[in-house]
Amino acid sequence: MMASYSIWIALVLGILAYLGIVLNLGPGLWLQEALVVGVITGLIVGNVHLGLTIGATLTLMSLGMWTYGGATMPDFMTGAILGTAVGALGGGETAGLAVAIPASILMTQLDVLGRAVTTVFIHAADKYTERGDIRGVTLMHLLGQLPWGLTRAIPVFIAVWLGAGPIQHIINALPHWFMHGMQVTGTMLPALGFALLLNQMPVKKHWAFLVIGYVLYAYLKLPIIGVALVALAGAALYLKLRGSEARAES
Amino acid sequence: MPSPEDSLEQVIERAEVTPKDVRSAMWRHIITLQWSWNYERMQALGYMWSMLPIIKKVYPNKDDMIGAMKRHLTFYNTNPQIGSPPIFGATVALESQKMGDAVDSLKIGLMGPFAGIGDTIQGVLVRPMVAVFAAALALAGSWAGPAMMFVLGLIWCALMVPLFYLGYRRGVGLVDEVAGEGVLSKVTEWATIFGMMVVGGFVPSIMSGLTTPLQFHKTVEVAGKATTKTIALQDTLNQILPSLFPVLVVGLAFWMIHKLKLSPIWVLLSLVALAFITGSIGLF
Repeated sequence: MMASYSIWIALVLGILAYLGIVLNLGPGLWLQEALVVGVITGLIVGNVHLGLTIGATLTLMSLGMWTYGGATMPDFMTGAILGTAVGALGGGETAGLAVAIPASILMTQLDVLGRAVTTVFIHAADKYTERGDIRGVTLMHLLGQLPWGLTRAIPVFIAVWLGAGPIQHIINALPHWFMHGMQVTGTMLPALGFALLLNQMPVKKHWAFLVIGYVLYAYLKLPIIGVALVALAGAALYLKLRGSEARAES
Repeated sequence: MPSPEDSLEQVIERAEVTPKDVRSAMWRHIITLQWSWNYERMQALGYMWSMLPIIKKVYPNKDDMIGAMKRHLTFYNTNPQIGSPPIFGATVALESQKMGDAVDSLKIGLMGPFAGIGDTIQGVLVRPMVAVFAAALALAGSWAGPAMMFVLGLIWCALMVPLFYLGYRRGVGLVDEVAGEGVLSKVTEWATIFGMMVVGGFVPSIMSGLTTPLQFHKTVEVAGKATTKTIALQDTLNQILPSLFPVLVVGLAFWMIHKLKLSPIWVLLSLVALAFITGSIGLF
């Protein structure tokens, strides 16, 4: 078991965080998803299973979350990288979540900083535009990625390089009740994602489908793919019946 | 100024926007739209920079070019992957035909509705469903989980190309097409019903770890002999309401968000507190 990480691992993970956010600013969410970045971090630090678990737990927390209109949400990408890296030093899933969850929340502050600092670049671009300086404008736009990327890369680099060892020591020293509490937290947190998702759905109108899904899995022990197929058929049937009802009325 | 050696055709050709310029603008938009996203004008600089290949061709006069550049530096923000490509495509078509004056109203008119449509498709209809399956697979130790999320990201990206050309070909007509039909509301309803049923199954499946270790000891007389019998609370619960605890915790979180209007962060902290309390009293 390692006690800490070399500067090279820290550097690679910092670059991973940088690429994750900057890719998300353009062609989208391939890397930034906690599951994807978690498993890549797992490969780098040599514990793929941990990366899968941490990524999955954070993904379940984020089910109903989306950056609506550019709003800030918890940074589960950075959380997944840090949680997987720290947990792989020996603390496992519990230690990983103890790091990943607070990190995801604290990173929102740096997200706001990154979005605010980029304002400088558009002001400079205004000046270059006034002069018709296309090279200047291009430079300002392309450099706009720096505040975004560095607000993720620097904390990851420093935390993994200098912090992972000490954090692991602290976690080792934590009492049993704390680690048990974190373990229960891990099993409970998907409730947040489900609740956020349900909050966007017309639960009052369509609660019956929720109950059917629950009964199919919990009582009838249907595998989840089976539940999905019944859901597919149920939705088709409902819309068809309602369509014919509407035609009969008109 | 054209040099004297240039023939008339060459001068005209120079002002024409070629398919190559259109492609170049499209790729700039796909790869870098939000690189300079900021609180003040959000995606404005990325939009303008993506439009440059067109602007440079259409306005050979420097002052005209600066005017067009400034026009695109005004506030702009929409869903970047579903919403922006058709809007950008339509404005590329307009700018190419020197109809720059119509661009502003088109952008302002479409960015709001397209943000709503795009965020709903991605954030409500598709991502949660794919994510919940992917997470279940990952928790079972399968590579297929992260692979699914990665492929979903690639699909969104691949859609940006046809969406751009849709906007480019339809131009202003796009507005009427989006306003009419009602295809989206049908798809939304279908996805909602599907989603509700799947979530109903996923709550007990994903949170199956939330069981109580509590046991009760009961002295019973079996054939005249008093014996102590151990009854696990969870076994009793399973016979009445399986997965009672997952359902209760999800219900509690939903109530906090829906009725108490608490922000996700506060619900998260409340759940952590609940986990520590129930964990330390031995319920979980």
